[in-house]
Amino acid sequence: MSFFMSLLLLGLVLGLIVVASNPSPYFAALGLVVAAGVGCGILVWHGGSFLCFILFLIYLGGMLVVFAYCAALAADSHWESLGSQSVAATMLVYGVSVGVLAGGFYGGWYESSWLTVEEFHELAVHRGDAAGVALMYMPGGKMLMIAAWTLLLTLFVVMELVRGKNRGALRSI
Amino acid sequence: MSPFILATLLFALGLGTMITFASSHWLLAWMGLEINTLAILPLMAQHHHPRAIEATTKYFIAQATAAAMLLFASATNAWLTGQWDIQLMTHPLPVTLITLALALKMGLAPMHSWLPEVIQGVDFTTGLVLSTWQKLAPFVLLLQLQPTNSTLLLALGTASTLVGGWGGLNQTQLRKILAYSSIAHLGWMTIVLQFSPSLALLTLIVYFTMTFSAFLMFKLNNSTNLNSLAISWTKAPVATALAPLVLLSLGGLPPLTGFMSKWLILQELTKQDLMPLATLLALSALLSLYFYLRLAYSLTLTVSPNTLIGTTPWRHPTSHLTLLLSTSTVATVFLLPITPAIVTLFSLLGT
Amino acid sequence: MLKILLPTLMLIPTAWLVPGKWLWPTTLLHSLIIALISLTWLTNLSEVGWSSLGSYLATDALSTPLLVLTCWLLPLMLLASQNHTASEPINRQRMYVTLLTSLQFFLILAFGATEVIMFYVMFEATLIPTLILITRWGNQAERLNAGTYFLFYTLAGSLPLLVALLLLQNNAGSLSLLTLAYSPPMQLTTYGDKLWWAACLLAFLVKMPLYGVHLWLPKAHVEAPVAGSMILAAVLLKLGGYGMMRMLTILEPLTKELSYPFIIFALWGVLMTGSICLRQTDLKSLIAYSSVSHMGLVVGGILIQTPWGFSGALILMIAHGLTSSALFCLANTNYERTHSRTMVLARGLQMVLPLMTAWWFIASLANLALPPLPNLMGELMIIVSLFNWSWWTLALTGAGTLITAGYSLYMFLMTQRGQLPTHITALEPSHSREHLLMALHLLPLILLVLKPELIWGWTA
Repeated sequence: MSFFMSLLLLGLVLGLIVVASNPSPYFAALGLVVAAGVGCGILVWHGGSFLCFILFLIYLGGMLVVFAYCAALAADSHWESLGSQSVAATMLVYGVSVGVLAGGFYGGWYESSWLTVEEFHELAVHRGDAAGVALMYMPGGKMLMIAAWTLLLTLFVVMELVRGKNRGALRSI
Repeated sequence: MSPFILATLLFALGLGTMITFASSHWLLAWMGLEINTLAILPLMAQHHHPRAIEATTKYFIAQATAAAMLLFASATNAWLTGQWDIQLMTHPLPVTLITLALALKMGLAPMHSWLPEVIQGVDFTTGLVLSTWQKLAPFVLLLQLQPTNSTLLLALGTASTLVGGWGGLNQTQLRKILAYSSIAHLGWMTIVLQFSPSLALLTLIVYFTMTFSAFLMFKLNNSTNLNSLAISWTKAPVATALAPLVLLSLGGLPPLTGFMSKWLILQELTKQDLMPLATLLALSALLSLYFYLRLAYSLTLTVSPNTLIGTTPWRHPTSHLTLLLSTSTVATVFLLPITPAIVTLFSLLGT
Repeated sequence: MLKILLPTLMLIPTAWLVPGKWLWPTTLLHSLIIALISLTWLTNLSEVGWSSLGSYLATDALSTPLLVLTCWLLPLMLLASQNHTASEPINRQRMYVTLLTSLQFFLILAFGATEVIMFYVMFEATLIPTLILITRWGNQAERLNAGTYFLFYTLAGSLPLLVALLLLQNNAGSLSLLTLAYSPPMQLTTYGDKLWWAACLLAFLVKMPLYGVHLWLPKAHVEAPVAGSMILAAVLLKLGGYGMMRMLTILEPLTKELSYPFIIFALWGVLMTGSICLRQTDLKSLIAYSSVSHMGLVVGGILIQTPWGFSGALILMIAHGLTSSALFCLANTNYERTHSRTMVLARGLQMVLPLMTAWWFIASLANLALPPLPNLMGELMIIVSLFNWSWWTLALTGAGTLITAGYSLYMFLMTQRGQLPTHITALEPSHSREHLLMALHLLPLILLVLKPELIWGWTA
């Protein structure tokens, strides 16, 4: 179990490094997909299977947008694949710094980060992650209202920013 | 911008900060910060100008990074200690991360470099909102955090005062100068934050008053760089005559209001036996003072030759509402004698 | 104290409400009345302790002469500035009077303060009006540079003083001058305490100015308008001496050893700045360096910490205040006529302005400390107390006195004697306003010969 978890975490870090090292959009999207998928895998391994399904569904929607965006940007004259010099150098730098940081925190964080939600699931009456959702609807109901308002505001702000044919923010400058 | 849209955005701007004020739960505080950031974006981009769009983008990226870091740190905190409360955090790692995230949000050195660029890209009113109202929410979170790790805050604060002084020396653009001045003042607040939260709040309010006058003054003169300041006496003679006092008050020279916060902070630092730091801070104020002084020179203390063109703006009656400016200018210049009353007021607020 | 402060404050509305034609006469009369009322402080001098004691302000034998000098200077400044501001719009003239008044207001609060921190705040508060006076009302483009020098030299010295004072307040519990002298002597042994000692004095040494940190003063004097030079030489430099005398009572145990380098530096500065005066071509710069030289003697007298040293320093400060202010006024009368500060271009003025020569003569004699004048009293007391400390100081002080006489003579000869250059034969004759100005400077100086105990300070 520990081996598989390490593999997933490694995959997550690698995926993020691919996104962060500034390659062409196709590769960045690939890195994003890897990171998202592996992240959900980590959640499963921690016991949050319900939560991770929800998250994966959301990610799928997000990936659709990412790929559409990517296809729009595909006509790229400077092609930076993962192997090209600048990208590889950046990846190396990020990889080494993550390694150094992880090494620095190795002793302190190690213990608490392996707890799973369902450690005592034989004794529990209901699933931990589903109980979390119920908790969010019951005492956190007001917070949900604020979240809904925030989503509305986000939509409004995005429309305000991009509206107008050539006066909007997203015009070709 | 249509007044309805403006009203909605301003409402959301206020709401975000208020939610952050009122929350004791990290998730809600984070949400308030995000609402706040979202609401200011269209206001920043309302002039459809490449520089404004660039500033908006930079602001969005910096704030989103800070918010993500905050969320990550508070989630880590929940994982490590099992609670989401803002106050009485016990584990040092999330506290450090959150402090750094809030520092990025406010623009403390060494996470300051977005601030001058952003403020230079927007107009004076939005710049004023950015350097006053937008600082409130992160600052109040930092106050509630009650960090015990003194070295980090002291380092952030000292770096900010030095960077704010040194960075502004080389600038000729007024908004960038005001941004660096904001960095330097935030540094002073950050240093005293852990010793006396009420004093930090007092410094913040005093800084708001002073920077309010400065922004409004430049907005009245409609000048965005040093060169265009020279003819401001033809536009608003009285405001121009008082401008050096406002600027020197920002610089913290007695007997002006700006000295109050510096005085009290230095006193607090000597109480904590931090004499070298206090001396360093006091001397770093000289760096900032130099560029305020240069502003005062080109604004008032050198009079340009009275050409006919230079005197013509004088004949147009100004249509600006100057009540706010005059009120805040009086507050910026004359508040030092009532320091005890103000200190008492804020220490009452602090309890 | 409020009898003086409130009328001073009311000078500001007077300056703004009075009709433009009556601006200068009214403000002059008003300030002269204030100056005359301030003379009543001198009657309290026979008492040893504090008098006119309010909750924040008081006078004693040390501060009274300086307070009276401050009040005396305002009408003189108003008299001196009338000519060069005459071409300005009336609102700017009113602004100018307001500026001078605010300066006097802060100075009275500084000298009258019974709390050291209030003295500090007011000490700093005088910076802003002086800065505006130099940079807004000066003539040449270099005045901005001079203003920056002035502000930053003073602030770099005085911000450590603020920290030192706050520290003292934490340790002693109070900064009141009334009680601080009676507080138990502090145990000052560590390296940090020595730094604290230096921080307490550095601000005043810069303000005096001590040789080595004096570079702001000639610049400020040369670039300032006449009122700026007058107040700077007459009162603002004395803030430094006053502050030092107040602080030294607290710094007692450390001063004995630590003050040696400063005394030597001050005396060396007397020689050096005197020598600089000897080959100066700029009239105002010469007078400014002569101020530095005299102030070096004052620093020596204060740091030696004997009653004679203190009395001598106070006497010399008052006498120098009147003398150098008079010299700056005289330099200004030349400047307003020839529009140049260069002495070579304005020689032989005895031929065109004969009565002015008399004033030049008296002022030069006062500057070189002619026997009955208070200048000599002060110098002699300082020299004697320094001599009592170490015989070798006589070499420095004696040479300093000689050089002082030399450059005073040089200044008098260069400006008054010799052939009149052909380009200045048609000068405006001197006004009675200028004669009044000089008389009001030099008469008090001469009258003080008769009653020097007014400016003796604590030994009275």
